[in-house]
Amino acid sequence: MTLLLLYLLALLDGLLCGGRVSMGRCALIHKRAYYARALVRGLLGAQVISTIALAALLLVNRFSANQTVFVTDLEDAAERMLWVFVPYAVAVVGSLALRMIPSTDLRSATSVVALGPLTAMRPLLMVAGVLYGICGSQLLETRVLGLFILGLMLSLEYFLNRAAAARQRREIREVV
Amino acid sequence: MQHDPDTLARVEVRKQDVLEVFRNFRNRKAIRAVEALPERDGWLDRKEIDRLLVRTHWEMQRLGEEFYHGPRVYELLRAVIGAIRNGGFRGDLKVVDVGCGIGYDIRWLAARTELGKQGVELTGFDLNFALIHEANRLSAVERLPCQFQHGDAFSLDHAGHIFLSTGVIHHFRGPGLREFLQRHERPETQAFLHFDFQPWFLAPYGSWFFHFLRMRTLLARHDGVLSAARAHSAATLTEAARSAAPGFASGIYGAKIWNTPAPRVFHTLIGIRRPLIEGLGKALGRRARRLGELR
Repeated sequence: MTLLLLYLLALLDGLLCGGRVSMGRCALIHKRAYYARALVRGLLGAQVISTIALAALLLVNRFSANQTVFVTDLEDAAERMLWVFVPYAVAVVGSLALRMIPSTDLRSATSVVALGPLTAMRPLLMVAGVLYGICGSQLLETRVLGLFILGLMLSLEYFLNRAAAARQRREIREVV
Repeated sequence: MQHDPDTLARVEVRKQDVLEVFRNFRNRKAIRAVEALPERDGWLDRKEIDRLLVRTHWEMQRLGEEFYHGPRVYELLRAVIGAIRNGGFRGDLKVVDVGCGIGYDIRWLAARTELGKQGVELTGFDLNFALIHEANRLSAVERLPCQFQHGDAFSLDHAGHIFLSTGVIHHFRGPGLREFLQRHERPETQAFLHFDFQPWFLAPYGSWFFHFLRMRTLLARHDGVLSAARAHSAATLTEAARSAAPGFASGIYGAKIWNTPAPRVFHTLIGIRRPLIEGLGKALGRRARRLGELR
């Protein structure tokens, strides 16, 4: 259950990364389809990373001296991570939900006081969450796996951003 | 980017000259941004600069979207149009966006409102041809009822009943600001709405943080922060408008959030013909509280 929740949070993170890297790269007014494609790309990116993470987990588990201890240790670490990631996710989703209220002032305020700072915090929070998760773990395998997945998650936005930048460069070369 | 003041033709710019300007200001961030600009034999590469400007304006549009600038403009513009119509004007109304860039405000109004069907003609002007070309391309892609023209919005060939701008007015300083406002004094012009950053002590820091987070080009990051730092106070704007365009009653709209002391990111310099003031108040309804003194 704990690992499933982490997986769902990773998908949510990927979804939002996909949206974020696409913003400011399309100047149309009607762009629901553009954003939908960007969100799907982010979701797929997170799915790829989750699949790699799962493969790494299964590999480590396969060669672990004590598989039961490893799984328990991993779940404990994941549970600790959730103490950091869940409140952050709630804050992000809550801020986005506030933007449903039709007030330009309120919507602008969520950008300034919530979404902006929360975006800035994302990499730090990821590092903090993973470190908090693995610092109490018993096994080296769990720590290495945690750091590996952290690297994957941090690289997600970088790669999505590079891909979006390349698409944007091509498009601008076509129009100018 | 420079233009010939008479023909508006683009003038080639030597990169070293631009660097020299910012060296004199000791503006290291600007120097870094200029150093990154593509050049050819010492001259700024026209095509690459155009591409950079288009890219930067796409990014700037994102801020407009995030801050719901379209609805903000429409809220006030709708009331001004209502006041003009109630004042007895029945013909087509021409709304002109001065320094429209890629025309986000005008395109948003054309796409999201019924103004086009209500006899309102939406036009944007800019001195930069690449930006106007992009504005026209974008509006053609979405088949929007608006147009964009390269040139001077205040030239005698173009009549504007309402002039508006976003993030433009802080570029005019001292006598330049007065001259800009003076140009609204034309018989057909009924009102002007100039949206710009509202200066307060946290604005440059907030702007830095936000542009660092949201903008990707050095140019956009630097320009955004500088714009917030150079924004005119309400007093400067209203004093300049009242002395340079005395045919209008001028004031500030939307300075505070919900009548609290908290300032909005943007405020608006509004000028309107005096016979329309009462109609504006009525058209604004409960939002009339956001309107400062008009005189």
